[in-house]
Parts: sequence; C-alpha cells; structure tokens
Amino acid sequence: MNITLRMAWRNLWRHKRRTWLTVGAMIFSNLLLVFMISLQFGSYRMMIDNTLKSYTGHMQVQLEGYNDDSKIRNSFDNIIPLAEQLRQTLNTSRVAARGVAFAMTSSEMRSYGLQIVGVEPGYEPEVSTLSGLLKKGQFFSGNNAEEIIIGSILARNLRVDIGAELTLLGSGRDGSFAAGVVLVTGIFESGSNDVDRSMAQIPLGYFQSLFSMGNQGHNIVINAEDLSLVDVLQSKVSHVIASRKELVLLDWNQLQPGLQQAIQADMFSAWFMYAILIVLVAFSVLNTQLMSVLERTREFGIMMALGVKPVRLGALVITETTLMSTLGLAIGAGLGALLAYYLSLVGFSYPGMEEMAGKFNLPDRMYPSLSLLSVFLGPCIVFICSLLASVYPALRLFFLHPVSAMRTV
Amino acid sequence: MMTFQLSNTVIFILAWRNLWRNHRRTLIMLSAITVGVWAMIFMTALMRGMVDDMLLNGIRNLPGEVQIHHLQFLDDPGINNSITAPDAKLLKALQSPEVKAWTTRVRVPAVISSERDSRGITLLGVEPGREVQLGFDISSIIEGRFLTGNNDSGLVIGAKLAERLETRLGKRVVVMSQDPDNNIADRGFRVVGIYKAKMDSLEELNIYAGLTTVQKLLKLEDKVSEIAITGKDYRHVENWFSTIKLVAGQTVQTLPWYEIDKYLGSMLAMMDGFVLVWIIVIFLALSFGLVNTLVMAVFERTREIGLMQALGMRPNMILYQILVESFFLLSIGLLIGNALAIGTILPLQDGIDISVVAKGMEMMGSSSILYPALKLNDVLLANIIVITLGLLTSFLPAWHAASFDPVEALGKD
Amino acid sequence: MTSIVCKDLCKTFQQGDEVITGLDNVSITIEKGDFVCLSGPSGSGKTTLLNAMGGLDTPDSGEITIGRVRIDKLGKAALADIRLHNIGFVFQAYNLIPVLTARENVEFVMQVSGLDAEERSKRSYKILREVGLEGMENRRPAHLSGGQQQRVAVARAIVSQPTLVLADEPTANLDSVTSSQLMDLFVELNQHHNITFIIATHDLRVMKYAKRLIKMEDGKIISDEKQ
Repeated sequence: MNITLRMAWRNLWRHKRRTWLTVGAMIFSNLLLVFMISLQFGSYRMMIDNTLKSYTGHMQVQLEGYNDDSKIRNSFDNIIPLAEQLRQTLNTSRVAARGVAFAMTSSEMRSYGLQIVGVEPGYEPEVSTLSGLLKKGQFFSGNNAEEIIIGSILARNLRVDIGAELTLLGSGRDGSFAAGVVLVTGIFESGSNDVDRSMAQIPLGYFQSLFSMGNQGHNIVINAEDLSLVDVLQSKVSHVIASRKELVLLDWNQLQPGLQQAIQADMFSAWFMYAILIVLVAFSVLNTQLMSVLERTREFGIMMALGVKPVRLGALVITETTLMSTLGLAIGAGLGALLAYYLSLVGFSYPGMEEMAGKFNLPDRMYPSLSLLSVFLGPCIVFICSLLASVYPALRLFFLHPVSAMRTV
Repeated sequence: MMTFQLSNTVIFILAWRNLWRNHRRTLIMLSAITVGVWAMIFMTALMRGMVDDMLLNGIRNLPGEVQIHHLQFLDDPGINNSITAPDAKLLKALQSPEVKAWTTRVRVPAVISSERDSRGITLLGVEPGREVQLGFDISSIIEGRFLTGNNDSGLVIGAKLAERLETRLGKRVVVMSQDPDNNIADRGFRVVGIYKAKMDSLEELNIYAGLTTVQKLLKLEDKVSEIAITGKDYRHVENWFSTIKLVAGQTVQTLPWYEIDKYLGSMLAMMDGFVLVWIIVIFLALSFGLVNTLVMAVFERTREIGLMQALGMRPNMILYQILVESFFLLSIGLLIGNALAIGTILPLQDGIDISVVAKGMEMMGSSSILYPALKLNDVLLANIIVITLGLLTSFLPAWHAASFDPVEALGKD
Repeated sequence: MTSIVCKDLCKTFQQGDEVITGLDNVSITIEKGDFVCLSGPSGSGKTTLLNAMGGLDTPDSGEITIGRVRIDKLGKAALADIRLHNIGFVFQAYNLIPVLTARENVEFVMQVSGLDAEERSKRSYKILREVGLEGMENRRPAHLSGGQQQRVAVARAIVSQPTLVLADEPTANLDSVTSSQLMDLFVELNQHHNITFIIATHDLRVMKYAKRLIKMEDGKIISDEKQ
C-alpha cells in the first residue's frame, strides 16, 4: 500500500465518529437512490409494456394523417397482403392488420356507441394480450365469421353472455349504412375498466364487408420481441413500405406520446429530488473535509516545512475523500441492492397505489427492477459529487504558508 | 425559577457566540439546511399544485362534489339507470347554506354523426343556468353561445370534436342514443356553441344539450341521470355530505367525488403521505450533517466544557447549551429556507408552462400549466419536523458533551 | 475552624496496561484561611489531590469533607453546585471561555448561580479593578496577555466569595515578574478576604509564599511543614 493511501486511511479513523457520520449520509442517500431508481426502471418498463401490449403495439403502419385524424375514410389498400409481406420479410408472426370503426352496438336490452376493431384472427393474439385474457368462450372461428368478442363490463352492461346476438349499426367507409348481426363468442377481462367497458373486436374479413372497406384497413400493428429491438425493426419495416408513399410508420412514442411524457414528467421530478439529496451529501462531505483540513493546519505546515509539496497534501485530502466515498458507495449500493432485490421478489405496495396503478396499466404491487445501471447510477453520482466537494478544501492547501501554519494551534 | 431565567442569558450568549466561532462550518451547515428546507417546501408546493389541478380538473370533468345516481348508474351509465328529479324533501335539504349550487343532468352514451364521420360521445342534458353556477366556465365557449334554457334545441360541442367531425358552428349533426325501451332515438341538432377544455380528451367526449330537449328525445319524462351538488370547498365535503345522503335515501346512491373517482380520491391521501415522506427523507439527509457539526463543535470545545463544569455548571446546563446552539442553527436555516421557498414560489404563481409534457400530464389528469400551491399546513409541517426532529437528533452530541468527565476534559489539549 | 478534612484517600488510574497510583492513603486537614502549597514532581499526585478536594474528581476510597458536607459520594450535579458556590479554580492555561469577554468570564459563575445583572456588573467591575485590569473589561481572552488572562481567572475564582480557591500550576506559563505579581495578588486576597488557598506547583518562587508547604511523592505526603 502506498504511503499516501496508508496515511489517508489512518487519518480517516482519527475522527471515527465524524467519518462514520459522513459515510452514513452517503449510505443513506445511496440506499434511497438505488431503491428509487430500481423502482423507477421497473415501473416505467412495466408501464410501457403493459400499455403497448394491450393494444397499441410497438409500431404501426398507417395512412399518413390517420394518427391525427382517425376517420374511417383514412384507410389504405391491400392491407392483408401487406401484413403478410411484412411477416415474411421480418420473419416474425408479430404483425397483424386492423380496421377501426364506430358503431352503435345493441343487445335486446341496451345500446352503446362503441369503437369496433376488425382484427386478423390468426395474428391478432401475437400483437395484443387481449385475446389471451378471454374469460369465457373462444376467439374467432374464421376471418369472415360474423362473430364478436367484448369486454366483461360491456357484456354486463349489455346484459349479454356467450351465444347472444348483437346488432351493429354504423356508417361504412363510403358513408353508406352499415348494419350487421354478430354472435358473442368471447368475453375478455383485462383488468382495466376502460378497456373492459369499451372494447369490441370482430374478424377483419367481416369488418371489411360490414363497413364497405373492400380490401382496405386502417393499421398494421408490429411488435418487436423486446422494446430495445424496436429501432432495428423500424428500419426494416420502413424499407418494406418505402414503395407505398401514402403510408407512414409510427413508433409507440408517436402513437402514445402521453406515455413517454408522463415518464419524462415523473423522471424530472424524481431527479429534482435526487439532486437535492446529492447536494446535501456533498455539503456533508465539504464540511467534514474542510474541518479536517483546518484542524490539521499545523500538521500540514510541518509537512510542508519538511519539503512536502502542496500537491501531495491535496492528493492526500482527495484520497481521504475517495476512501470515504468508496465505503459509502460499497455499503450503500450493497444495502440498496439487497433491499431492491428483496422487494423485486415479494413486491410492495402503499396506500393509494392501486388506484394510481390502474391509471397507468400497472399491477397492484410494484416490483423494482434490478440492474447494474439501476444499482450504480445513483451511488456513482454521489461518489463524483463527494469528490467535487472536497476540491475546495484540497485547494486551500495551496495557499498555506508553512511558518504561519506551524504557529496555528 | 429565577435562577433558571438568569442563567438562560449566559447560555444564549454562549450558544450564539460559539455558533459563529467556526463560521465556515456554520455557513456550510446553514446552506445545507437552507437547501433542504427550500426543497421541502418548494417541491411540496409543486406537487400540491399538480394534485390540486388534477382534482379540480377531475371535479370539473364531472361537476358536482357530491352526486346522486341510480344504484347501478356508475357501473352501467345507461338510460335505464335513471332517477326521479329531486322531491320536496331533497329540495329543502339543498337549500342548506353549505350547498353552493346544484343541478340535475341526463348523462347517456350516444353516437354523434356529421355527414363526414361518427363518434361515440357522452350526451349531457343540462339545466344551463344551474350548470354555470356549478362551475361550467362560460368563457370556455370560443364560438357561438352556451345553451340558454332547458328547452334549447341547440347543441354545444368541443372544439376537438368539431374538428374530428369536420363540422362547425351552425351546421347540423345527428345524435343517436336509445330510449328506455331500447328503441333507437335520434335527432338532428344545430351546433350553437363550441367550447374549449383544458384537456383534449374532454373536448372529444362531452356534448351539451338542453335537459328538457334530451328528456323528450329519450322519452325520459322528468327523470334524470344524476343530481350534482357543489359545496364551498371540495376538501370539506363531509360536513354536508351525510345530510344529503340521509335525505336522498337508500333507493339511490349518494357519493362524494373521492368515491366516484377513486383515483382522484386516492391522490389526495397519497399526496399527504408523499409530503410527509419527502420532508422526513430530506430531514434525515440533513441530520447526518447536523449531528456531525455538533459532534465537531463539542469535540473542539472539550477543554472549555471541562472548564465550565469545573466552574460549577451542571451537566444539564451543558446539554442545554448545545441544544440551544443547535436550535439557533436550525432556526436560522429555517428562516432563510422558508424565505427562499416563498421567494421562488411567489414569482411562479402565474403558472409554470410544462406543455412539453402536456400529453403525459393529461394521462395523469393534470393540465399543462402547473400552479404551485403553497399551503400553510405544509410549511408548518416542514418547520415543525425540522425543529423537533432536529433538536431530538442534537440530543445525542449534547448528551455526550454533558457526560464529559471534567478532569479528563480539562486534560485534553 | 476546620475547612477541609481528607481521610485515607486512595485513587488509581489505568494507563495502557499499567496501573498508576494517584493517591495512596492520603489524610490531611486544612484550616480555613490557610495558604498552602502542594509541591512535588509531576506524577506525584498533587493535581489528583487538588481535584479531589475541589470535587472535580472522586476518590476510589476515603472521605472528603468541606465544612460540614461530605463530598466524596455526591452526584455530578450536586458536585457542580458545591464547586459553584464554595470553590474557585485557577488552572495552568486555557482558563477562560474564549467567546466571553473578561467581564463576562468573571460574571459567568455569578450568572450560573443566578445573581441579578446589576449586582453582577457591580462586583465584576470592582474585582477586575482589584486585580489590576481596569479598562480591559470588554476584551476577549485572545486580546489579553498570559498574565492578564490569569488575573481574570483569579478574579473569577474569588468573585463569588468562595471559602476555597484551588490553583493548579497557576504560574507555569508566566515569566518571573508576572508570576510574583500573581502571587502577591494571591497573598493579598488571602489576607483581606480570608480565603483559603491551595496551590499545586513545582515552582520554588511560588513555594516561598506558602504558610504551609506540603511535599508529595508517589501519591503520598512525605513532608508537611508550616513556615
């Protein structure tokens, strides 16, 4: 061990209590940061995944302008062949075409104005979790079947069950009158009241004939295996649709701008809080190191008289801080990781979270997500800020005059 | 008692002068307390502002801090779950001074169609005069007019919806819903007014028509979907809610806003929790520095403390002296911190534009301008926690100082 | 009249692995109004004896009585009160509270014991004049010379009219002129106020002033003579 390091280490323990209090402040903040950041990472990811997987998907091919103005007329040709072409080019089954329209949906007892989504029976389950959430009945028997699946609350409100008939009344793409009778084959329960109250799906083939769509549809949903692979997939899809100038490819951020912004807003307030914590730790370090330099003025004076350069002494102070910060980092990140790991297994919740979670497609319990980044991001910033805080005390040594320093008591 | 008061003076002088002996350390600690207190109050005011906005938006979305519905209405907001208009008894209860305004509405899901497109919307049959009293902002009408009476045959729709339907003021649209016998009921309306809401989603959702007009269309006779009542402060609904509930009876469901929208209701409680946790977390982060400062102060003055003990100062007076020093430190920090917080919040009273994340805020139910809400209670809470817990943590080094052995303390260099 | 009676005092300290004897069966009686010097090499036990008599330290065994009060078994707070009202201290150095002025240092003891402000101020001015510090009342210790600081300490020790003043090496940091001025002051106070002085010292010039000279070695009294 080199001499500076050894001296620094011993100096730290000359004031055990002070050192531990400073390290304690670091441990406290680090513990909190690791926990909070892991929780953020966990919940953001879940928020994105759950929101996108239930319906929107990672990206969609649409007619240009459809996203801002989702009218039934803003559809495009040959949607099913294009979806098939995409599946082959991308070598994935996570591609499905859809049509979207409004219709008055009536049972014998009730009527509701609903958004009706036409889906490809063979591929829709690959892009959306809804079909997997069927509580009763089954998915469509074919692409042209006159069948419908609806949410559980909607079923209750319409007073219908599997096997009942619903009448759909709306206007087709060309403005003509669209009317049809469909059989309820499935009822799903997603857990989100809004979805369960308002969602209805019918097979795309039947949708196209009911709403006079011809071979048209409104969007093709494409899902990546993982959120991180979206970029790669995006460029491939763009390539495929390049020949069709009327089409655009929108990623999840363009489709659901609120999601990213809600995350940004939350991130901003979270980082404001973290910054305050970190500043307070930095003050703690500044105080400790300044005191430790001031009380050793005499000692430093003697060392300078012996020929030690101020740079060496400054290095000593910085080394002391580094040792202290390393302790804080190791213990804080360690304890924080343990806490986050434990909670990632059992989860946790707080009063009011359930209502909050429902709003953002989150489960009732939160599970922090542990990664190298989530564990070390916060503590490393604390580490750097602590070092920065000790620069001023270290710099003071350059203005020390050995003779007057030695005279100090 | 006399003794105590007189010796107080010397304790205060000692504590105050000792505080400034190591002015660098004191200033650093003061900065830390100031930043901490500022952050406590500032952040709390921002969050409160956001939640207030969410609540107000939420309540504006379904105006009426207390609403009376058919027992099944909230689960199934349809035409069949209607109730009779207020009877004499309820009307009398609504005269209460606690009630600021009330109205009745028909609220049913419907489809609106222009010649270009159709949309699913919520049709509101309202009593225009009462609706305005209840909080409908007449200045939000950007084109045309609001409804003039229960018999008004016009329709008021949101700007966003008009854009979607490619319709405009003076054009005709068709509204289609069902009557209680499940027959399709539809009727043409002329758009007489277009309103702008804080949130796009509301503009697309709610359309307003005269109450009687809607009742006739839907063959409801004089039935309504809801009775909405507003008091003077949405935070204190409990005062009058129970009276209304009692008079309204068991055959209908009478609920305050925080139970109608559980998300909104939980936000208020969660906010209180957040404020407390935030203040305590900041305090804890501060407490390490505070104890450290006092530990150093006591350590440097070991000899002096020994001397004071030798001169006959009782140990509890030593303890008291350190606590007073800590009290001074905390008080100055609080003073500057509070001033700084108020100084930064007041200029922001006109709102902070956060429209870059407008869509995200809308997801949370808040609008894109954030108005910080400085609440006396929050400020008091922060101050009380800092002083109380601060003195409590200072007790450790103070007690340490008081338990010095005078001979040993005097022997220290 | 008997002022202080010590009977069979024993005290040991632990220093590292060694056990050091501070007091070894010391018995001594000091009359009121006496002027006593305790001398002996460092480690002989004179400071320990002084601290024990002043109620700063408690002996392992033995009895100490000041006036009629047994002080060897008293608690911290009660001892503090005895020191406050009956005993004045003058130490070798760092005698004063640095943040207080000369006058405030003198008033400190009176303030702790609860005297009113007018009385305090009257007495402190008078006593500071008596020790020759007129005009320096509002200086802080850092702006006083070593001798002046010791005079403030003496003023503080006698201002509350104690029966006993204990001084531990009061001249150690002073030059010879200042030393003899301080000792002259002690003698004068001893004579005019009938205050008992016990001074621990190994300064021969100080011992000359003693009415009674007690020599100690290894925690024992080896000689005790009046002169």
